[in-house]
Amino acid sequence: MLPAATHRVWSEIATGKRPIRSDNLALNLLVKSNHMSFERDPSQANVLQLAAKTYKFFVQYEKFFASEFDKILA
Amino acid sequence: MLATVNSTLLSIAEVASAIAAGESLFLAGSHEALRQLPQGNWVGGTIPYFMTEEGGLVSEDRIFVTKVPEIALDAKVADYGPDNLADLYRDAPANGFTFLVLPAATEVHKTFAERAQSYEGFLLRPVVGWIAGVRVDRIGKEASAVFNGRTGKSFDTRGVALHVALPANKVVNLKIVNIFESGGGNLIRFEEAGFRVSKCLVDGKPANLAEYIAGNGIATEFPLVGDYNGSTINVSFQAVDAAAGTVDLYAPVFPGVDYHFAKPVEDYAAAFGKAIAVEEDRPTFACNCILNFLYGKLEGKTTGPITGPITFGEIAHMLLNQTMAQLYLLDVG
Repeated sequence: MLPAATHRVWSEIATGKRPIRSDNLALNLLVKSNHMSFERDPSQANVLQLAAKTYKFFVQYEKFFASEFDKILA
Repeated sequence: MLATVNSTLLSIAEVASAIAAGESLFLAGSHEALRQLPQGNWVGGTIPYFMTEEGGLVSEDRIFVTKVPEIALDAKVADYGPDNLADLYRDAPANGFTFLVLPAATEVHKTFAERAQSYEGFLLRPVVGWIAGVRVDRIGKEASAVFNGRTGKSFDTRGVALHVALPANKVVNLKIVNIFESGGGNLIRFEEAGFRVSKCLVDGKPANLAEYIAGNGIATEFPLVGDYNGSTINVSFQAVDAAAGTVDLYAPVFPGVDYHFAKPVEDYAAAFGKAIAVEEDRPTFACNCILNFLYGKLEGKTTGPITGPITFGEIAHMLLNQTMAQLYLLDVG
């Protein structure tokens, strides 16, 4: 079960405060693209946007990452 | 675990029969071969280089065919120019993937490479495919092209896509096989995105990349490798003009990415064989890079059991260089 869209974990992943190590290409591209965007624009509005994007990604791939969620979100 | 693998090199007549039978196909072949095909639910791009189970080969009268898996719910053909490329993601199914082929060295190729990451739906709508090309001895004399089989039209300025919808119990996983890794050494960064660069930062200090390459005797058959949170994304060298101080690349570099020059690879065939050996399944689709074929002298050499076109750029979500891109369809219960 994923944390709610408003949970802080999504902004922590988006800004790099919560690092993720994975061998999944899409996840790594998401993380990198978030960090690049956050580096350019660290405003709260952008963080919220990146957090929403991150949440959508995990919803889309929830079944695929099911076994890794505990590790990723620990 | 894995959907049916159905990728193979066929004669023009065999492909025409499959089209007539109503198959949805993703094709790679010479312009002469593709232009002979009847209209139907297919897209294709020009390329005469292939990796087969017998090894790398060049053929202008056979076509590499990837059949859309039978489990697919739908497969829709579309074409896109630089003006409406963002629609690629809007048109893609909520669960599925998009095969995409773009003509080399065109505005649509450049637009995808530089902007895909900014489009709504990037990563959520998986895009896999390649950049069309021509025989290397015809570069500059002949344009690469893509074909929309539905309309029978070919383009040298637009890309074609096959949007494939999948049932809810399937998930797409795009993977890459990259035989290159960072060679260590200086950290290279860029302040602007682009296919042509001059200025860079070497360990944080301003420098000219062309001068740095010339001054350090760097072999440019090996790419720059960018670190994307642990995934290694290559950017290959097209030309270094030391006099003009410019470097032309086959994919753009981006600010915010840490780059290093790759560690040299001596035996490409062995390196691919080793990397592929760890794969448990065969992908539904794969393609590999023409630079690996040329620099690695892969004609006649096998790189493991994976087959597919050898291309002028690979796509797995984003544009890649000197990389094998792979599409896997997995069961998720």
